[in-house]
This record gives sequence, C-alpha cells and structure tokens, in this order.
Amino acid sequence: MNKLILGRYFPGNSVLHQLDPRAKLMAALYFIGLLFYVENGQGYLYLFIFTLMMMRLSRVALMTYIRGVKPLIWLILFATCLRVLFTGGGTVYFNMGPFIISSFGLLTGIYTFSRFVMIIFVSTIVTLTTKPIDLTDAISFLLHPLKYVKIPVEDFVLMLTIALRFIPNLLDETQKVMDAQRARGTVFGEGNLLQQMKKLVPIILPLFASSLNRAEAMADVMEVKGYQSGKKRSSFRQLSWSRRDSLCLMGMVVLTLGLHVLNEVNVLLLIASIY
Amino acid sequence: METKRTLFLIEVAIFTALALVLDVIPFLSFKVWAQGGSVSFAMIPIFIVAFRWGVKGGLLSGFLYGILQIAIGEAWIMHPAQGALDYPVAFTVLGLAGLFAPAVQAAIKRGNTGRFIGFVAIGVLIGIILRFVAHYLAGVIFFESLIDGMNIWMYSLVYNGSYLLPSFIINVVAVSLLFYKRPKLIVSGK
Repeated sequence: MNKLILGRYFPGNSVLHQLDPRAKLMAALYFIGLLFYVENGQGYLYLFIFTLMMMRLSRVALMTYIRGVKPLIWLILFATCLRVLFTGGGTVYFNMGPFIISSFGLLTGIYTFSRFVMIIFVSTIVTLTTKPIDLTDAISFLLHPLKYVKIPVEDFVLMLTIALRFIPNLLDETQKVMDAQRARGTVFGEGNLLQQMKKLVPIILPLFASSLNRAEAMADVMEVKGYQSGKKRSSFRQLSWSRRDSLCLMGMVVLTLGLHVLNEVNVLLLIASIY
Repeated sequence: METKRTLFLIEVAIFTALALVLDVIPFLSFKVWAQGGSVSFAMIPIFIVAFRWGVKGGLLSGFLYGILQIAIGEAWIMHPAQGALDYPVAFTVLGLAGLFAPAVQAAIKRGNTGRFIGFVAIGVLIGIILRFVAHYLAGVIFFESLIDGMNIWMYSLVYNGSYLLPSFIINVVAVSLLFYKRPKLIVSGK
C-alpha cells in the first residue's frame, strides 16, 4: 500500500531529479507532441535513442520502465496489429478479405509501437523523477494563463495540494475501517456485485463522516491563521529556475531541429553519396 | 461568508482525495480492462460533492480528480487530445449531476424518498452519460490516429460502455443508499 502513496516517484539525485519540474513537464509534453511530427524511420530511431539516453540519465533501473509499459502492452499490441492489418502499400505478403500484411503496413506498425512505447517511457521518466507535490507546482504553473479568464488558479492549486497531502491519511483510514470490518467477519472481494456493494456502505459512511469533520477542522484552523482565498500568498516550497532548466528547454529546440533535418534528408543516401 | 468558501475548497479537496483512494484500494474496484476502464467507486465522492455543493463543487471536484490522476502518474496519455478528454474533461462533466442538487436536497428535507432517489438517479445518469461521451470521443480520437476507416466507433462504444454501464448502476445505488442512511451528508455548511 505504501507504494501507492508516493505515486511512482523514485528518490534519487540524478540530473533529471534536479531539474525544475516546470522545465521537465514542459519538455516532456513538448517531446510527446514532437512524436507526432516524425515522418520516417530514422526520425523514430533518433528520438528513441534520445529517450534511452534520458532513461539512462534518470539512473532508474530499466526494469522499472518496462514494468510501466506492461499494463498497457495489450492495448499497444492491439493498436499495432490494427495498424499492420489495415495498412496497404508496398509489397503485399498476405491478403485475406479486408486484412493485408504489406511491407508498408509492417513499417507503420513498428512506428506506432515505438511511438507508444516512447510516450510511456517519457511520461514515466517525469513521474519517476518528480515528486507528486513538485509536479503539482509545475501543473499549476502551466495553468497560470487561466487566471486571465477569471479562473481562480491559486485556489485550485491549494486544493490540489491538500488532496495530495491527504491521500496517505485517507488510505490509512480506509485500511483501518476495512480491518475493523474484517474483524467483524466481513470478507471482501467475495459474492456478487450487489453483495459487495452492501459491504461497502459501512466502509464509506465512516470515511465520509470523518472526512467532513477533518475538512471542517482544517477550514477553521486556516481561518484562524488568516487564510483568505484570493489574497496573494507566498509559498513554502519555492521552485527555482536555473541555467540547467533553460538548457533543457534549449535542448528541446536542438532536438526539434535535428528531427526536422531527418524529416527532410535521408541520412543513408547522404552517406552513400559522400563515399 | 469567507468561512464558507474556505470550507468549500477544503471539502472538495478532501473528497477528491477520497475518490482517488477508493480507486486504488484493492477489493473496492473491479478492473474490467487492464488499462484504466474500471468499475470503481471513485465517482461516489464526486457525486456527493455535486449534490452537496451544486454544479460548481461538482465540476471543480471532477476537474481536480482528473488532474490528480495525471499528477500521481496514474493517467495513460497517448495523444494530447485523448489525454485532455480522458482525464480533465471526462471527470469534470460528472459534476453536472449537481444540476439536480436543489431538487435532491428539497426532496430529502421533505422526506420524500422515492423522489430523491429519482433525482439522484437522473443526476448520476447525466454525469455518467457525459463522461461516456468524453471517453468515447477520446477513444475515437485515439484510434482514428491509428486506423483509417475501421469500425472504431463501435469499438470505442463497446469498450467504454462495458465499464460505464455497471458504474452507473453502482453509483445510483450507492449514492442513494448513502444519502438514505445518512441524510446529513447532503447538508453542506451553507
């Protein structure tokens, strides 16, 4: 259960761990966008090598990443198969009804597969090297523009932080209530859906009641300490943008330029023409 | 006045956290599909907030829940538009169940059980239908980017319907049952 509390954060001290979460999040989102801009195999290879380098930089075991792909592997394989079976063109190896296996289809299948895997790897890099609380700060930074359309971003960030802060407590409490019910002879995960739901009520009701009390107490305390929504506040954890972070974003620009070149120029042909 | 707002913010936050907790605890959710689509009780706290605080609370709680899943790395995002639809949008629309908050509260006050369960059911139904639409479109966008001219509409329908239909029934029963057993749950600190 403790594993769930911390999200998927993997404590460490690598370069990626030290990056500002804002830079990391922006770069990761940008990279995922970039994956949709690739036009040929060498482009995929190029981005894949980059992803592997980043994974190496994070100093987290490769196995952890592979485990991240596992729950999605069937969906990815399914998508890849669809792609392979329904794309024609090039040399056709097999043809039955609407299904075609062609050289072009196989290639697109490989592209699709590697794009998915890269998306998962990159988002895993971010969640493994960033604490959820830092990620929250980064998300709130990205949501900042919403302030101009009169959405109270600060309130929202406060709520996000409180929610994250309370997840461990609520997990503990749920566990306690479930144990209490187990002690009274309730067996969870048995019976049909309706029976299972009936068992749920005595768990959820106390949880809701205690959550309400907790919320009330906390609101009182915050009021007493002078909290007012909409007022400007300083924060305890300050994010600091350093040169490293600017370099990270610049790296993304360079990466894009490289990809652009690869989209236009066939490297193999280029090398062949030189010799 | 101010007290109400702070209480509102915190209550929504804690209930949203509860939603996440109910989603991750084993035995409390039934995974229909390995990746995501689960019949869980995560929506119950969101609906409770919606019926307690009205549309605004519901929408906020849902949006928060969507972002929270992304923040702790639970979310599966394969395509920007799919990510937006599957997480922030899909859960935000659940909050529209709050449209029926005044009706539900009035019915509870008058002790009219049949009426209140009816309104809860309509509210939950609207929330879940809209969530279904969001997931449905997300699924279509996701597969559209893969295959041209395949029967993706059907696929997305079956996939999302398979867990949202049971979810609907569970939520109506659970939310009604909770309010029935503890009517105080619905009276917010207004």
